[in-house]
This record gives sequence, structure tokens and C-alpha cells, in this order.
Amino acid sequence: MSAQVVTENVDLLEKFPQSVKQDDRAGYAGYIVSADHLLEVVRFIRDDMGFDYLASITGVDYLPNGLMEAVYHFYKTSGGPGLVIKTQVDREQAAIPSLVSLYPGADFQEREAWDLLGIRFDGHPDLRRILMWEGFAGHPLRKDWHEPYYEEEGKPYKSRWPEGKVYRREDKNPFHKNVDYPAGFDPDKWVPDDDSTLYASVNKISSAGGESGIKTDYVIVNMGPQHPSTHGVFRMVVALEGETIRALKPVMGYLHRNHEKIGERNTFLQNMPFTDRLDYLSSMSNNFGYALAVEKLMGIKPPERAEYLRVIMAEFTRISNHLFAIGSLLNDMGAYFTPMLYAIEERELILDIFEATAGSRIMCNYFRFGGVARDLPEGVEEKMRDLAFKRLPRKIDELDLYLTNNEIVKARGEGVGVLTPEQAIAYSASGPVLRASGVPYDIRRADPYSIYDRFDFDVAVRYHGDVYDRYLIRVDEMRQSVRIIQQALNGLPKGPIQEGKPQYLVRVPAGEAYGRVEAPKGELGFYVVSNGKANPWRYHVRAPSFVNITALETMAKGNKVADTVAILGSIDIVLGELDR
Amino acid sequence: MIMDWALLTEWTIKSLVLIFGLIGGFAYLTLFERKVLARFQVRIGPNRAGPHGILQPIADAIKLIFKEELIPAKADKIIFIVAPIITVIPALIILAVVPFGPDIRLFGRTITLYISDLNVAVLYIMSVTSISVYGIVLAGWSSNNKYATLGGIRSTAQMISYELALGLGFVGPILLSGSLSLVGIVDAQKNVWFFLYQPVGAFIFWVANLAEVNRAPFDMPEAEQELTAGYHTEYSGMKFALFFMAEYIKMIAVSAIAVTLFFGGYRGPLVDQFPVLGPLYFLIKVVAFLYLMVWVRATLPRIRYDRLMAFGWKLLFPISLGNVLLTAVGIGLVGITGNNLWLWFIPVSTILFFLLVSHFAQGAVAGGNK
Amino acid sequence: MSEYLPIVVLLILSAFVAGAAIALGHLFGPHHPTERKSLPYESGMTPFGPGARRMPVRFYLIAVLFILFDIETVFFLPWAVVFRKLGLFGLIEMLIFVMVLVVGFLYAWEKGALEWE
Repeated sequence: MSAQVVTENVDLLEKFPQSVKQDDRAGYAGYIVSADHLLEVVRFIRDDMGFDYLASITGVDYLPNGLMEAVYHFYKTSGGPGLVIKTQVDREQAAIPSLVSLYPGADFQEREAWDLLGIRFDGHPDLRRILMWEGFAGHPLRKDWHEPYYEEEGKPYKSRWPEGKVYRREDKNPFHKNVDYPAGFDPDKWVPDDDSTLYASVNKISSAGGESGIKTDYVIVNMGPQHPSTHGVFRMVVALEGETIRALKPVMGYLHRNHEKIGERNTFLQNMPFTDRLDYLSSMSNNFGYALAVEKLMGIKPPERAEYLRVIMAEFTRISNHLFAIGSLLNDMGAYFTPMLYAIEERELILDIFEATAGSRIMCNYFRFGGVARDLPEGVEEKMRDLAFKRLPRKIDELDLYLTNNEIVKARGEGVGVLTPEQAIAYSASGPVLRASGVPYDIRRADPYSIYDRFDFDVAVRYHGDVYDRYLIRVDEMRQSVRIIQQALNGLPKGPIQEGKPQYLVRVPAGEAYGRVEAPKGELGFYVVSNGKANPWRYHVRAPSFVNITALETMAKGNKVADTVAILGSIDIVLGELDR
Repeated sequence: MIMDWALLTEWTIKSLVLIFGLIGGFAYLTLFERKVLARFQVRIGPNRAGPHGILQPIADAIKLIFKEELIPAKADKIIFIVAPIITVIPALIILAVVPFGPDIRLFGRTITLYISDLNVAVLYIMSVTSISVYGIVLAGWSSNNKYATLGGIRSTAQMISYELALGLGFVGPILLSGSLSLVGIVDAQKNVWFFLYQPVGAFIFWVANLAEVNRAPFDMPEAEQELTAGYHTEYSGMKFALFFMAEYIKMIAVSAIAVTLFFGGYRGPLVDQFPVLGPLYFLIKVVAFLYLMVWVRATLPRIRYDRLMAFGWKLLFPISLGNVLLTAVGIGLVGITGNNLWLWFIPVSTILFFLLVSHFAQGAVAGGNK
Repeated sequence: MSEYLPIVVLLILSAFVAGAAIALGHLFGPHHPTERKSLPYESGMTPFGPGARRMPVRFYLIAVLFILFDIETVFFLPWAVVFRKLGLFGLIEMLIFVMVLVVGFLYAWEKGALEWE
């Protein structure tokens, strides 16, 4: 397990004796910075200490202490462990300076914290709700905010207990009787919000004339939510000049279910299958990240065989995800489903392995704290070997051969949606998006977790940062994943697959932990705070799709409508994770 | 007068046969496309309505007839309704000048297997095919829909990209046959199909045709992934069916024209002895071209419309211009030397020219985006 | 002109068929328009602003060039028909014509008229 917090770095305390202090709560690490000096300290962290990558921003509501805390995780793109700083403010008037001016990638994450926890970020250029709808009352992740069918803080609910007297809260409180409308509200006549604030924020740019001096109209067009190529219910509001994008605002939250609130009601183990629903194309990776975070809190390590199985499954997931991503990228470029279906053919074989092992193809729910759920059944290892040594390398070469030198793929991809390395880092892009921009940052190598330090693989990197490179990098990564799987299969030891006994109710000591893995789509982080009870006090997901989408406007500006679709496809988002 | 009535009846019958043949062809072309695409993609394709899905087009037609048709609130209603008609009529009448077979004798009359042998048939085709662009632009504009408007504009951009190459593509066969009439052009291919003299011309003509009929990879006006459905976003029911029909009938039409210009039309072995074979050969050749179109759709992603413009102007246009000139030089050489072998100068020189230009122009086309 | 008469017959019949198709849809399709249904489709959102309005058509210069060159293309057709009769004269004459065309084309290309974003 990697130490992820720099403790020996006393610089910060010496440099800012007044405003920085060590976080000395039991189970916690990092520094607490006073809100007034946050910008100053963060600038020092970025410029002088070299932590150029803001991985995650998490808001935590400490209701009993009356505090609202923002947790920032910083990393160096040159590799190595990270730095955690926190800012605590009064939870009733929570206001923290915004970091968008230093790290543009903070944009959506701060909006999320505002939306869900009501932390106001002063100086944020566009602090609107992001996941909930405009006009929603309250901030749902605050501990004193209760949902309509609120029963109690944590599962298992007493109403389902003891046996024989199970009822649901809803049964006692039928739908039509519990709905309260504000005075004067008629749901039949209700017209949904006309998005005037949103359009206004897009319209800001719409004043300039063309370079010829001829005044042209910008047209504001909605692409999505019901659009064939937004990979789900995702919406982009674009200002067009002709077909050229002049401004773009992503709108999300159509699939929002407040994953984190539900996660805080669940017990620790109940969240394991729940993480499958985040990025439903790569559930094994989601399991991995969550398992790491909770294991860090519990201070346990899975046995050898389980580690190997985890790596094998995670890498198979990466391959299946990238196959799907390339297939849908080509679809977005207008190829009529052929690459997609060819890619899906291989993906199905990988899912066969998942089904045989975990019992489910998509929602695998395979990892456990300190191990995995099941050992490989008879014959599966041969199947894996067959895939990893014979079929997949050949099929990846085939895909490469058909697509990579295709004139149209090149014409559609090269020079489109460029993200420079500096921008990619500043926007906290991660995964293939970051590496295609020439930043060889891969958590498996930069901050190794599990047993990745034992394998020989290359960090794929490409240098143009365009759509074409984001396609190429996925092909590269699939090849590297095959290499890792081959080594892991060759080294797969015999032995137990679970540390201790499998438990339904795990004891998790109080404290905080941030588990991060290199998920197929980028850095997937789980920030978990336990207060020693059966349920996490805070369960935050740093979703790669969500953070990568921050850079969408920068990539899309100046390109055509057709390119926007390809750019979105090249980021590879999954709405289950984006909207949570 | 009696003669006139007989002629009118003949025209009417032939017109009806052509129209309903095309509509039937359209219906089964959709099934053919879906089946072939499915096989390309390791799928089975429609197989529920009737054996092997044979009744699928009929089911589709019935569904479309009973669909609710919507007209957007602020749409220009008259143009909105007329636009699909404007699009479909040219598609139906293009083939009027194409001979489907040699003359046959029926009921004591000589029946020609074309509707009319215009002496300016090529001009007729060029002008009629261009008209349907109006339908598309009008549909896009009248819908009061942003995607549709963008689709309409794209369609204009597309038209001005490929039409030059398309027009020049006709010139080769005309030079070789010395006739603007398609009947004349087919007769001139009695011995050698023009494809052999005009490989480059045929290829350019074919690529331009794909753009002409809005087929992949040039299906920008209706690009699903970008503009949801482009110019026909707001159309439903039978109005949509008319656009769909126009597209597919034009596929058949341009395939038929390409066959006529470059692949000997209805010509084939033993046609002169058994005229019935003519339409059969013609059908086989047309289906082969339709298959090619489906194949291209299954293979290639969509090009971007500004790239198509660069492609059309910087690659297709120079090559087709050079093709015309080299063809003329080849025919001129035959005239001077009196030796017909000089005709083979044309394919050799045009292919070399094609390779040369595509080598140099590649950068210009791909580098459209800085 | 008599060759055009059958085409007129075909034209009338196809217009009739197209009209009949639309009438068929009107006859059999249901009609229950509502305010929401007759909004233009914009991915499920209420459209912002009018659908059809001034759009910058950046390729208008190419469109103008297109008219020029398309007309020149039409000149090829009669020439091609009588080319064999004209012989060498026709060839040289057309070479000069094309030369003029190509010079104009290259000039437009060099001047960047073919570039628009």
C-alpha cells in the first residue's frame, strides 16, 4: 500500500505558521489551512512544491462539529505520493475561495460541492448547480437534509427488521398523500425551467462580430439530452457561428440519483455492488478503487492470489472498456456500427470470463475488503490464457490495421479537439485524455497500488492531444493491458483469496482514506470517511468522466459540430459515473 | 389520332412500370441494405416479417402510413409539405432517358425499353439530379429547426463540392461515343465497356455519385450523430418516407447511370439474339453497384463537410479535368495516326495522372484543419 | 420536341404518386397535435430562439466560383460531341480553354478562395 500523504514535508508548516496546521484528528492526515489564506497556500503548493495536479475536491459535512470541510488532494504529474489539505469553515455560512483561477479543473468539482453541500466558492466564474436542477430546494448531501422517504441515517433499516414485520416506509405514506406542493403551484400547468441563466452564460460570448466585420448571429443549439451521440442523457448547449463552436456548456445530472447520499446510508459492504453502477462498462475497476479506500482505513491487505486476480480482472476491464470506447468513437465519427460490433464481439468474450467468475457480466460485484468474492472456477484460467495470449493480441492488431491508417479517421481526428499538456494538467484531466496530451501520468506507475509495481509495462503516451491520439492511446493501452495480464497469469499463485473470514458487517475504524486507481477512463478516486459506525460518514466518488468533461469546452471551441461529437466520444464518458 | 392514343398508352404504361418498379425497388433495396449491412457486422438482420424478413418493407410501409405526421408550429407549412415532393419527383424521372434493354417486339409493335431517347440525355440527367437539392434545402429551411437548417446548408455545401467532378465525369463517355444520348452511349459500348478506357473517370464519377445521393461517407446533410436527422428531423410518416424513397431511388438511378455510362448498360453476351437478357444484365450490374454502396457504408466513417469541399475542389476537380483532357488527347492521337490502339493511352495516362495528383493534393486536403 | 412528351407524362404521373403518398398519410395517420408536440425538435429541450435565421455561410466564395466553373463544365459537353469532327483544331482549342480555366483555378487556390476554416 502506498503512503499517500506527505508527512515529512514540514515546509508548509514552517512557511505558513499562522494559517496551516497539521490535521491531528485520529485517522486523519494532511494539513488544515484557514480559508482566508487558502489561495496563497495553494499557490505555494503548486508553484514551489510542484504539486501541479489537483486530483479531487471533496466537501464533507461535519454536522456534530458545525463545520463544513473541503478536502483537496494534490499530486505531482512527475509521480509520487500526494498532498492533502483541508479547509474548515462554519457550515451555516460556508464560503471558501475558489481555486478555479489556479486550477481550472476545479470548476465542476466546486460546482458539485456547491450543489450538493452548499459550500459557496467565492470567485468561481459560473457557480450554478450542476447535478441537481435549478430551483431544487436545499443541498442534499448536508447531513441535516432528509429525503422524502427518510427513515434513519444508516442501513440496515429497523423497519425491515426483525423478520416478519417488514414494511416499506412508502407503504405507510402513499404517494399521492405525501406530495406537498408550494401554495399556488399547479403541476399540470408547470413549465420546466427555461434555462435562462444557462443560456445567458453561453450568450456572454455571443456579442462579437465575425473577423470580416460582418455581424453574424450566433445560434444557441441544444445537443442533448435526447441526442443520438451524447452517450446517454447528456446535454451540451453550444453557441454556433455557422457550424463552428464558439461556446459550449455541458449540462448534466439527468441521471443523477445522489449516489453519494445513498452510499452514506449503505453499510460499507453494501456499497461494493453499488459502485458497479458508476461506470457500468468497467465495474471491476470501480470495485477496485472502493476496496482500496476501505482497506486503507481498515489497515488490511488482500492475500497474493487475490491481488493477482484483482489485477487480471481490472486489466480485462480496461480492454473491454477501451474496445467499447473505440467502437463508440468510430460511431460518433459516423461509421455505421461496424467497428462497434467488431469490438463488442471481443468484449463479449471478456464478459464471459466475468460471468463465469463473478456471476454477472456487467455488474460484477467481485471485490471484497481484503480479497475477492470467488476463486476462478474450473476452466476459466484456460479461457483467460487463450484470450490473453492468442485471441486478443491478434484482434487488437486487426482493429489497428482496419482503423489506424484509415484516411477518414485520420482526417476526422488529427488536429481536432486539441488539449495541450499544460491545459490537460490544469484541467485535471486524467487517464487516456491526459496521456494523449503528452503527460505520461499513469497511477499504476506514478503512485503504484496493489501489485502493479511488479509488472513490466509501458505507460502509453501520445503527444498531439487530439482525437486521433486519444484513439491511438487506447489501442496502446490495450496492448499494455494484455502484457500485464500475460505476466499476471504466468505468476498467478495458489492460495487463499480472502484475508480472514468474509464478513457481512465489517468494522472500519474512524478516519479518512482516499483510494485511487487508474480506471480505464482515468483517475477513479474514492474518498471515504468513517466515524467507526457501520456506514461511511462520507463517501465521495472522484469520477474520471466527470472531471475530464471539464475540459470539453476548451477542446471543442473553434471546431465544428461534427467534431464536438467526436471529441465527446474521445473523452469516453459514461453517464452512470458522470451524473452519479 | 389513333396512333397518338396508342403512343400515350404506351408512355403511360412504361411510366407506371418505371415508377412502381422504382418504388418496389426502393422497398426491397432497404431490405437488401439492412441484410447486407447485418452480414458485414456479424448480425442476422431483419428476419421476423415473413421468411427471411421478406415482408419487412411492407410492414415498414404500413407503419409509416399510419404514423402521426407533425408539422412544427412555426414551420412554413406549404413549403414543408411541398419539399418532399420536390425531392422525390426528380428521383423518379431521372431514369426516363436510360435504356434498360434493346428494342423488343410486343403485340406487333416495337417497344423501346426507355421512356425517351433525348439527344441531350446527359444534360437532362445533370439538371434533374440537381433539383432535388432544392427539396432538401427547402425542407431544412421550412422546418424552423436548427438541426434541419444546418442540414440544409450542408447539403448546399456538398452540392457545390461534387457537382464539378460529376459533370466532368460525363464528358469522358461523351468523347468516346460522340453522343449525348444514353442510347447512343450504350450502343458505342458494343465491343468495349468505357470503364476500360475511363477507369479514373468512372471512379471519380462514382465517388461524386455517393455525394450526390447523400450516402456514406458523404451523408452529412442527415448525419445522425451530429444533427440527429439533419434536414428531415421534423418529418414523420409518409413525408419522411418520401425523403427516404428519394434517397434510395436516387441510389438506384445513379447506379443505373453509372452502369450505362461506363459498364455497357444492358449490353452483355447474346443480348442481340435474346433481347430479354438486356434488362436482366442491367439489373445484375445495378445490384452490383448498390452492393458497393452498402459496402462503403459499412466500412467508412463520415467525412466532415468542409473536408469534402477541399476533397471535391482540390482533388476530384483537377483529376477529372485532367481525365477529360487526356481522353481528348488519346482520341486525337487515334484520329491522327488512325490506329485504334492509341485509345489505350487514355487509361494508362489517366491512372498515372491520378496517382500524381492524389500524391500532391493529399496534404492539401488533409491539412484543411490547421 | 416529341421526345419530351413521354417525360411530361412521367413527370405528371410521378407528381401524382408523390401527392398520393402524402394524401395517404393524411388520410390514415392520426392527428392530435399538442403545443408540446409541435415544438421543433431540439434534443428534447424547448428551442431557444427561432430555428431558421441568418446563418453565416462561409463558403459563399466557393459557391460563386462553383457557378463559374460549372458553366465552363457545360461548355465541354457540346465540344465532346463534335470533338472527332473538329480533330486537332478542337484539341488545341480546348487545351487553350482549359489552360485559361486552370490558371483561374490555381489563382483562386493560391489566393485562398478555397480555404474557409
